[in-house]
Amino acid sequence: MTQKELHNERLIKEANEARMRMHTRRHFLKESAMGLGSLALGALLQSCGSGAPALPEAANLFDPAHPLTPKFPMFPAKARSVIYLHMAGAPSQLELFDYKPELMKLDGIECPPSLLEGKRFAFIRGVPKMLGPQAKFKQHGQSGAWISDRLPHLSTVADEISFLKACTTDQFNHAPAQLLIHTGSPRLGRPSIGSWATYGLGSENQNLPGFVALTSGGSFPDAGKSVWGSGFLPSVYQGVQCRSQGDPVLFINDPKGMSRDMRKASIDAINEVNQEEYKEYNDPETLSRIAQYEMAYKMQISVPEVMNINNEPQYIHEMYGTQPGRESFANNVLLARKLVENGVRFVQLFDWGWDTHGTSADGSLNIGFINKCRSIDKSITALILDLKQRGLLEETLIVWGGEFGRTPMQENREGKEMMFKGRDHHVDAFTCWMAGGGVKGGVSYGETDEIGYSSISGKVTAFDMQATILNQLGFDHEKFTYQFQGRPFRLTDVEGEVIRDILA
Amino acid sequence: MILLSLSELIGRFHPALVHLPIGILALAGLFLLLPARGLLAPLRSSITPILLIGFISAVFSCITGYVLSGSGDYPERLVGIHQWMGIGVTVVTGGILLTRIKPSGEKWQWPLGIVLLLLLLFTGHQGGSLTHGEDYLMQPLNSMLGRDTTVIIKRKPLPDVQEAAAYAGVIQPVLQAKCFGCHSASKQKGKLRMDQPALLMKGGKNGEIIVPGKSAESEMIIRILLPKNDEHHMAPKDKPQATEQETALLKWWIDNGASFDKKVKELAQPEPIRPVLLALEHEEEEDKSIPNIPLSPVEQADEQAIQALRDAGAVVLPVAAGSHYLSASFFTSTDSTDLIMPLLLPLKRQLAWIKLGNTKISDASLEILGQCVNLTRLNLSHTPITDKGLAYLAPLNQLQSLNLVGTSVTASGVAALKEWKNLQSLYLYHTNIQREDWVELKRLFPDVILDSGGYKLQFLATDTQQVKASARE
Repeated sequence: MTQKELHNERLIKEANEARMRMHTRRHFLKESAMGLGSLALGALLQSCGSGAPALPEAANLFDPAHPLTPKFPMFPAKARSVIYLHMAGAPSQLELFDYKPELMKLDGIECPPSLLEGKRFAFIRGVPKMLGPQAKFKQHGQSGAWISDRLPHLSTVADEISFLKACTTDQFNHAPAQLLIHTGSPRLGRPSIGSWATYGLGSENQNLPGFVALTSGGSFPDAGKSVWGSGFLPSVYQGVQCRSQGDPVLFINDPKGMSRDMRKASIDAINEVNQEEYKEYNDPETLSRIAQYEMAYKMQISVPEVMNINNEPQYIHEMYGTQPGRESFANNVLLARKLVENGVRFVQLFDWGWDTHGTSADGSLNIGFINKCRSIDKSITALILDLKQRGLLEETLIVWGGEFGRTPMQENREGKEMMFKGRDHHVDAFTCWMAGGGVKGGVSYGETDEIGYSSISGKVTAFDMQATILNQLGFDHEKFTYQFQGRPFRLTDVEGEVIRDILA
Repeated sequence: MILLSLSELIGRFHPALVHLPIGILALAGLFLLLPARGLLAPLRSSITPILLIGFISAVFSCITGYVLSGSGDYPERLVGIHQWMGIGVTVVTGGILLTRIKPSGEKWQWPLGIVLLLLLLFTGHQGGSLTHGEDYLMQPLNSMLGRDTTVIIKRKPLPDVQEAAAYAGVIQPVLQAKCFGCHSASKQKGKLRMDQPALLMKGGKNGEIIVPGKSAESEMIIRILLPKNDEHHMAPKDKPQATEQETALLKWWIDNGASFDKKVKELAQPEPIRPVLLALEHEEEEDKSIPNIPLSPVEQADEQAIQALRDAGAVVLPVAAGSHYLSASFFTSTDSTDLIMPLLLPLKRQLAWIKLGNTKISDASLEILGQCVNLTRLNLSHTPITDKGLAYLAPLNQLQSLNLVGTSVTASGVAALKEWKNLQSLYLYHTNIQREDWVELKRLFPDVILDSGGYKLQFLATDTQQVKASARE
């Protein structure tokens, strides 16, 4: 027997074993039970004369064979799309939006024990010193919104924005806090907001996914891919992650020696195999797999121009400050605009690197933080203005924010003075903002105390923000559910309230 | 003290206990209506014992009800009527019992039964109104019919806020709008009345609600600031809430000593409260949110017509569950748009939102769009249309948002649309409108957001510079 024959034989044996392993006693029982059961059920239903109801609502139900069919919301939506800009690591509100002149006076003074009693911090130990604002503030626009000189471009569009000044959370570590803000639970396993949106609305453009995730900053958010995961929803609803460097999608152009027909033929062949698999095991996740292959092909073949920011005119590149090919937040912002313009419902951007503890130059308020601000300022401002001039801002909700805030005290890791200026994680007060998509411009909602330590009015939780986002997309967050493990689940669990005061 | 809480306990049995006489006497009333002969006639012999049990339970209900009415948690007027009706039921029951002792009373049985049933119905309904609120029964019906029953008390603007009385002019209107519903002459939940200065300062059954000079220690403010889901939060979750500005005003007034006779100008006014006070000189900002679909309902669209449009590649969906209005978008069928457009005609009344951006729609097809009279949002960006086609759109006076970005329309074409009353935004970036035309357009569309686009961002050296570690202070 030659080497090749031996190899083949081993392969066949392995394949047979794999098949045998698949077909266990459990499968047999399951299949026969289903067989007998469905016979009985079929007969029963026939006698009742029940078929699919001919209501238009029926078209809105979840269909595993066509999970991305466009669907309609509960009430007329104000926002057709959402662009969520998440600053992973939690930017300091005290250097950006929450102006606290009182804190400046207290700079360098030891923190009074009354502020520390009963509180837990991620790194602060013993008695830290207060740290005044490390940026200069001015009021901007007709609304007089306080924005620091760290964001000179964004300051010019202050009147388009609703600031949520008193956001709170109950998680002081990155991963759980990110999970809470994106999935409604600090633990793994829940679907992200974008997945809920896609589950509810499908994809309006059948050549593009309903939910796209883009990352920048050199690292994934601490919570990993779960923040754009589908949790217990069918996996077809998870965010489709595009590449952050080079082309967002691979093989927009046909690779050398591979014709377009051949690519289609191979996708068809793979899907056929998967269809067989589905027929055998009836696992809806196999359908998701097929749908994903088809979607990837469509993105490469039907709409390569959408996925390609290189062809944008020069003045747009200048406006956004984009540098095609490199990994950059600005590139992702521009891509987000193109996606939304073409009917994508939810684009989620994660920009890593905002965790300014003061442990290194990059992680300090006076060096790394400034560079991070510069890397987002122009492109976010450009996004607001560009959507506006295209008539898309009124139907696109932009959300900006981190997972928590930062302390008015300077961090003193292990009770020692730090090399650089930084702040610890803080759960009681931080700023997020929303713009467009039926949200008022020029509003500051909520208030923190004189040193920005606690929220005193207009408190907003992650659930409130989620409720508001769903509301703008046309969903009542209390009624928008998915049946799982014997009970209906909601994005906002048992909480959340729409922030009506910022809605136009 | 114990006696007091004991009576409170007894009173609280009333809402449960009343169901005994209601059930028992309803049965008695029904039996009284039975004919003297026939299949069911033997049941009549049970009327007297049923009436007796019903009478006893009615007496107990009256006693507990009387105790409960003393708690002050219910509006006096309604309680008075309910109380006398309840006593009436008991007396009538007793009366019927008396008639049954004499055999001659038999002939009055039928009308007496009706009187008893009617009395029961009214008394029971009033009891329900007391516990659940007067609009409890009608509310679902009203919301089903789309009627809005919430009463909103509108604040009158003050001519000069500084000259106004701090309490009478600023604070009382807030309390009136958000608190008097449950805490005034008609109703005193928690034994709290807020419509008179002395009673407001006296507080409720848990004591004072205002600590002059200390808003943070005042129960009223504490309760307003509690999370909405907290059971002690005020106003209750389902009632109109104090706004942020109203809360700020209340805090400011308490911090300034909760005075009832001073004028606004006599009180200290720190920076944050000034804009809130100044806003009182203007009309209350009205809820300007206009629904983005037409208000009048429309008949259901023909399912086959929808399917035909879908088969042609458009995404056609109701704008929302339960609405017959449709949205249509043409993201993936951009080439032979003109051939598809006639398919819109059978749906011309239902189409509310249409997205035709980046399609090859021509001027001629706009004639069809011009017949979709219920359109509120229309996107024609980056299409080959011109002024000629735009003229066809003139009948679309429901339109709220029109996107003409990247088309060759000119100022004269756009000016022809000035009659549209509902138009809110008009997007005209990258069109053939000349720079000098904008002044005229702004004049023609005074209330419309005209977006000419072309926004530029300043070039800042810092955009591309990085701060290095060596640069630290």
